[in-house]
Amino acid sequence: MKLVKNLCAKIAGVETLEKQLADCADRAAKLEKQNKNLQIQIQILQKQKRNTEEIIYSIRDAVVVVEHGKLLMANEAAEKLFNFDFETSRHKSIDKLMSADKSEFIDFLNQIRQSKVRATRREVEFPKDGKSEIFDCIASCIYDQGERPCGVVAVLHNITRDKEVSQMKNDFVSHVSHELKTPLASITAYSEMLLDGEADDDQTRKQFYSVIQNQAKRLNRLIEDILNISRIESGLIKVQKKPVSLTILIEEQLQMMKSYAAEKGIEIIRFAQNDRGGPIVFGQVYADKDMLSQVIVNLLSNAVKYTPSGGSVKIETEVDEIAGMVKVSVTDTGVGIPEDEIEHVFDKFYRVNANKAQAKGTGLGLNLVKQIVEKVHNGKVFVSSKQNVGSTFGFELPLATAEVIKS
Amino acid sequence: MIAERKILVADDEIHIVHVVTIKLRNNGYEVVTAENGARAFELACSEKPDIIVTDFQMPVMTGLELIAKLRQCDQTKDIPVIMLTARSFAIEDEQKQQLRISECVSKPFSPKELLKSIEDILYQESVT
Repeated sequence: MKLVKNLCAKIAGVETLEKQLADCADRAAKLEKQNKNLQIQIQILQKQKRNTEEIIYSIRDAVVVVEHGKLLMANEAAEKLFNFDFETSRHKSIDKLMSADKSEFIDFLNQIRQSKVRATRREVEFPKDGKSEIFDCIASCIYDQGERPCGVVAVLHNITRDKEVSQMKNDFVSHVSHELKTPLASITAYSEMLLDGEADDDQTRKQFYSVIQNQAKRLNRLIEDILNISRIESGLIKVQKKPVSLTILIEEQLQMMKSYAAEKGIEIIRFAQNDRGGPIVFGQVYADKDMLSQVIVNLLSNAVKYTPSGGSVKIETEVDEIAGMVKVSVTDTGVGIPEDEIEHVFDKFYRVNANKAQAKGTGLGLNLVKQIVEKVHNGKVFVSSKQNVGSTFGFELPLATAEVIKS
Repeated sequence: MIAERKILVADDEIHIVHVVTIKLRNNGYEVVTAENGARAFELACSEKPDIIVTDFQMPVMTGLELIAKLRQCDQTKDIPVIMLTARSFAIEDEQKQQLRISECVSKPFSPKELLKSIEDILYQESVT
């Protein structure tokens, strides 16, 4: 009986053990399942992290993520902007990573974290190479699992160029409006005087009509120049390039310019030679003939305009067949340009202060020359000048290749 | 009309100076002219005009620089000034008050209206 009892107890023990083993196996299976789920979740999170990193790294704007005042994530643009290496700077305090001139930005990030706001925008300015760069910064607070604010993500878009372009546009519009209003002011004032009978005699009336006509022409030239510059800048101008003989083109423009020069008592001298000192036969360039004519006319008319009676204007063509370049220069014996103003003469609307009284102009002619030579024809303009001695304006263009001429 | 008054007209645009001069002379005013701010200041000192009509953008010395200089000089500090300019938008109200610019006339302008402004200002000056 005792034996039976012992056996029964042992059986019961075995059964309990079996049950416990079964429970363990069950728990192990559940744990394994949970483990698998966790691994899947980890993989998903790792993939999400990688995706987030890829997104951040592919953004051209600077992106920084800061957690508890320490750097958590930064892309290449941020590395360049803040001058740190992300891999060696990760988890370091941003106060130490960023230079003192970024303190305004760090304060901004702290404010965002404290105020727990989303997508706040501010312009921040960082000094660079003696100037300053302006950034449009958008920052948002980030939260931990307990929904407590733990850091900030900030995206910085460089708007320095946008600001410059906007300023240039404003300046341009303001300048254009002034330049357009000036001849318009004469037209309206003289028209009113004629209508009000304020011109007493035929001669005065004729003079008034003449002013109106000339100012209308000036207005038209101005509009044409502005449109041409605008078309070239935007790439919308129709360029019809073909082999053009500069020698012939210059001769054509000289014929038109000679009477204007003669009226002012100015001699025009033509000089052309190749790199061996011989005469230029063709001097062909691949260019838009009308545009290149305008370049030569603008240079010649400027030279005549600013040269006093008795002076001379020399137009010179040099061909360097080895370098494959042709150089055209127009030298006058005019009033010249002060040294500190030379670098601005090709700027839009720029007029040399000292020479404004000498002749009328819009300040667009030389800018148009530069645009046509450099932007349309891949050439180069140049200038040299000495006050009260004269100036040389010119340009260099690549010679047309034999293939182009044949085609 | 207040006759025999002297007006200084300063503008680097010869046609504007010409048309304003004719309008004013036709209405009995004596006119002296300058092509830039520096010359205008010299004439303001020597000719003592009753009023000055000046452009804003001029070589050598701008209209605003001219007015600032006029206001610093005992001889010229009280001469009323009309600014005749295509850049009237560029002149702040504060600047206008500070330099005591009587009026800004925008280009394109009506010579008739400019004359009226001049006469109004001269009349105000004569009664105060």
